[in-house]
Amino acid sequence: MTVHNLYIFDRNGNCLYYNEWNRKKQAGISKEEEYKLMYGMLFSIRSFVSKMSPLDMKDGFLSFQTSKYRLHYYETPTGLKFVMNTDLSVSNARETLQHIYSNLYVEYIVKNPVCVLGNTLDSELFSSRLDAFIRALPYYSPRAA
Amino acid sequence: MCSSGMADEALFEFLHMEIVSHVYKEQQSGKGEMDNKDRAVCVSVLEGMGFRVGQGLIERLTRDSPSFKDELDIMKFICKDFWTKVFRRQIDNLRTNHQGTYVLQDNKFALLTQLSSGKQYLEQAPKYLAFSCGMVRGALSNIGLDSVVTAEVSVMPSCKFQVVVQKL
Repeated sequence: MTVHNLYIFDRNGNCLYYNEWNRKKQAGISKEEEYKLMYGMLFSIRSFVSKMSPLDMKDGFLSFQTSKYRLHYYETPTGLKFVMNTDLSVSNARETLQHIYSNLYVEYIVKNPVCVLGNTLDSELFSSRLDAFIRALPYYSPRAA
Repeated sequence: MCSSGMADEALFEFLHMEIVSHVYKEQQSGKGEMDNKDRAVCVSVLEGMGFRVGQGLIERLTRDSPSFKDELDIMKFICKDFWTKVFRRQIDNLRTNHQGTYVLQDNKFALLTQLSSGKQYLEQAPKYLAFSCGMVRGALSNIGLDSVVTAEVSVMPSCKFQVVVQKL
């Protein structure tokens, strides 16, 4: 059971934060290209999902899975996008991502007078609290599945 | 009557952040780099604002209290009642030389807790202490004590306020 990595994007597509806990394979492209690829994919998939939905949509795109991992997506009303990759044992990470938003991002970034909205998240307090939170998750284990 | 819900605290915190940012931007406008004189002006403006707020706050807080026995009594009131109403906790440690100098130590100062829990952003901390120093000075001034209030931080969010009571 594990969390592989986490991306946080702002509403303009800038990657504000990235960290990994358990990533065995890299994408083979630079980090900048990876962030652009991730954001571009999310943008397309959200639009696709809402267009092709046979019913009225409520939350929109939530997650996708492969045979090895699941990507979870949470977007705040302010346009912040949280993306977390976990293994398949985690079926729903929405609450986790909501917690990261309201208890970590809002507390340590929004309420930090030095952090300018739109800049990458440099606060050590934020990253250490986030790291502690991820490691304390019931589905996190240092030895990857 | 004071309701301490989450919204109340956030309102003041955000407003304070913006006040500090505004004062520094105003001072800097058109100049590029800020020198120490500019920084001193900003600190002084913020401290002055805090002073007026402190004066008003203390009237409201001491409305129902009995009068104070002596200087130490006043400082204890600041450390307990005043600090609790304004910063939602008490001062952790009060020291004095019994000759008018007091050091108030708050180990989790409310306006620094979101900044960092160590050394990151330490050089920015003084900007966010000026207003509070003014508040303490204003509060004391309305109780009848003229003072000079300064603050120092070495490891966030712990902070020491030094009050030196001025003898006439």
